[in-house]
Amino acid sequence: MKYLIAEDEIDLQQSIVTYLQRDGNICEVASDFGEASEKAAIYDYDVIILDINLVSGSGLDVLKTLKKEKKKAGVIIISANNSLTDKLEGLDLGADDYITKPFHLAELNSRVNAVLRRGKYGGDEIMEFNEIKIDTKSRTAYIEGKAMALTRKEYDLLVFFISNKGRVLSKEIIAEHLWGDDSDLLDSFDFIYVHINNLRKKMTSEGAKYIKTAYGSGYKFIED
Amino acid sequence: MSKKTKLIKKTSKTFLITGLILAVLSSIALFFYTRNLLQNEVEEALYSTEARVDDALKNNKIQYSLPPVTEIREVKILKKEILKDTIIYDPSQDEMELFRELSTYKSINGKIYQITIRDLVVESQDILLAIVISNIVVFLLAFIFLFYFNTAKNLQVWSPFFKNLEQMKRFSLTTKESINLIDSDVLEFSELKTEIETLTNKVRMDYENLKQFTEDVSHEMQTPLAIIQAKIDNIINEHSINDKQFEQITSIQKDIQRLKQLNKRIGILTKIDNNQFVNVEPVNLSGFIKEKVNNYKELGFNNIIHFSNENLTVLMDALLGDILINNLVSNAIKHSNKEDKISIITNKNSLIISNVGEDALLHPEKLFQRFYRESKGNQSTGLGLAIVKKICDFYGFKVSYKFEVKQHIFSIHFS
Repeated sequence: MKYLIAEDEIDLQQSIVTYLQRDGNICEVASDFGEASEKAAIYDYDVIILDINLVSGSGLDVLKTLKKEKKKAGVIIISANNSLTDKLEGLDLGADDYITKPFHLAELNSRVNAVLRRGKYGGDEIMEFNEIKIDTKSRTAYIEGKAMALTRKEYDLLVFFISNKGRVLSKEIIAEHLWGDDSDLLDSFDFIYVHINNLRKKMTSEGAKYIKTAYGSGYKFIED
Repeated sequence: MSKKTKLIKKTSKTFLITGLILAVLSSIALFFYTRNLLQNEVEEALYSTEARVDDALKNNKIQYSLPPVTEIREVKILKKEILKDTIIYDPSQDEMELFRELSTYKSINGKIYQITIRDLVVESQDILLAIVISNIVVFLLAFIFLFYFNTAKNLQVWSPFFKNLEQMKRFSLTTKESINLIDSDVLEFSELKTEIETLTNKVRMDYENLKQFTEDVSHEMQTPLAIIQAKIDNIINEHSINDKQFEQITSIQKDIQRLKQLNKRIGILTKIDNNQFVNVEPVNLSGFIKEKVNNYKELGFNNIIHFSNENLTVLMDALLGDILINNLVSNAIKHSNKEDKISIITNKNSLIISNVGEDALLHPEKLFQRFYRESKGNQSTGLGLAIVKKICDFYGFKVSYKFEVKQHIFSIHFS
């Protein structure tokens, strides 16, 4: 897949590139408004990650140009501003998703994958990992063709794992993905262990042992 | 300080007292002055009559006594003249009357005469009384007129002052409404107006600056936080670290989450201050609570019980309604054990949420203040309840806290 990361904070831009490249994706970068507008107009990308507050202009204007040029790229807006109006404006202009700083790269990656899956950008709404198949439209997971009986959270967890396969996910990242702001109510993340264990059991019974423990307290979804 | 009196009442009171003292003093002065004047006049008349009697006697004209007004008697001894008041029966009027009496002893043509002249003082006393009474009446009339005239005039002169005072009472930093002061042709009032305007503008500007600063700081923090977050995410993937390092690095993620929450809440506070929540609609808080209770069940909090006596629907911004419920419930969760019951009761117009607690708060009055924490233990932002208070103040809801039978009880009355 080919991504454009339009972010003027170079450190953040490079971190995103590093994370997204791991799956063999091609990541191009734009460090200011001019560069972002130009690249977005000339080249075709699968997904554009667009910061609203670019040094010399607004990411929303880049988005407008994209839509005018009828580009097919999916757009995820990054903003430091957690305001609903900004979010609505971005989505109204045709952005596919909106994420507020600070965010986990795993979270961003999972949203990039979701955008890619939504059919119209060349993918389909099916996720596959070896014998696991997930229909994201009906929110059902199949293992070796058989539907898995997953709870809502277990399903979300599985999708999150597969989106970020091969990467280490800490309990903090998982908790924030599953429960958002409510995760700060949890004194310990033992709760996640319960969910992961349940998910593991449902998978291992079908012969899949992909969820590995990493560094004692983290997790990694990886092929045997 | 002592009891406060209204300005107009105070000046009127001073006016009244001064006037009263003046009226009394002037009446007294007038009384003595007139009395003296009349007495002198009477005495002058006595002396002049006496002189005429004396003259007549010298010229050997027969003089008849005319008691009680004139009496002439031959006496043996020459005495000093006497001037005194005396009371004599007046047969003509058949009553006792006060007379002024002048007795002189004169040696005329070898004989010694006692000449006594008397004059009625009664009439002069009546005149005196009449004068004093009319003085008081005139004074009173002038006074009543002046009093009302003065009060009316005062009210008119001070009216810009009172109107501006009302404006200042209504002044609030949180509303954008500017202060509209009335100018006056009185120099001091005009100066006062200018000073108040300068002051309120400055206060408002400082407040706005501070608000903007807080907003900017919390906004500017987001990007560095995002960078730290992203770098951590890469460190745990790219570098070979040991378990201990992993644990420490990921605990930083927890702190970032805390800062993120803090920023978010500061953002909410500023937005309420900026009046940015304008979508007022009927919000079904009972529904919100039901949803929340279910969400918390997923997180393992099975101790929250919702008693919905009546459906609670409130006119407010839906987002603020969500934040309100969320903050109250998460506050209860943070400050109680998972085994202890948290109860939420909703009525038609009120909400009560209570959780078990061993001890009453040390400083319940500080509970809704920003960054006030009773316990150091939990990792709260210290803004949750401040936001609850802010939302309630914004919509005029009444929020209160009490500790009863080992229960921390928060109640909100909507209306």
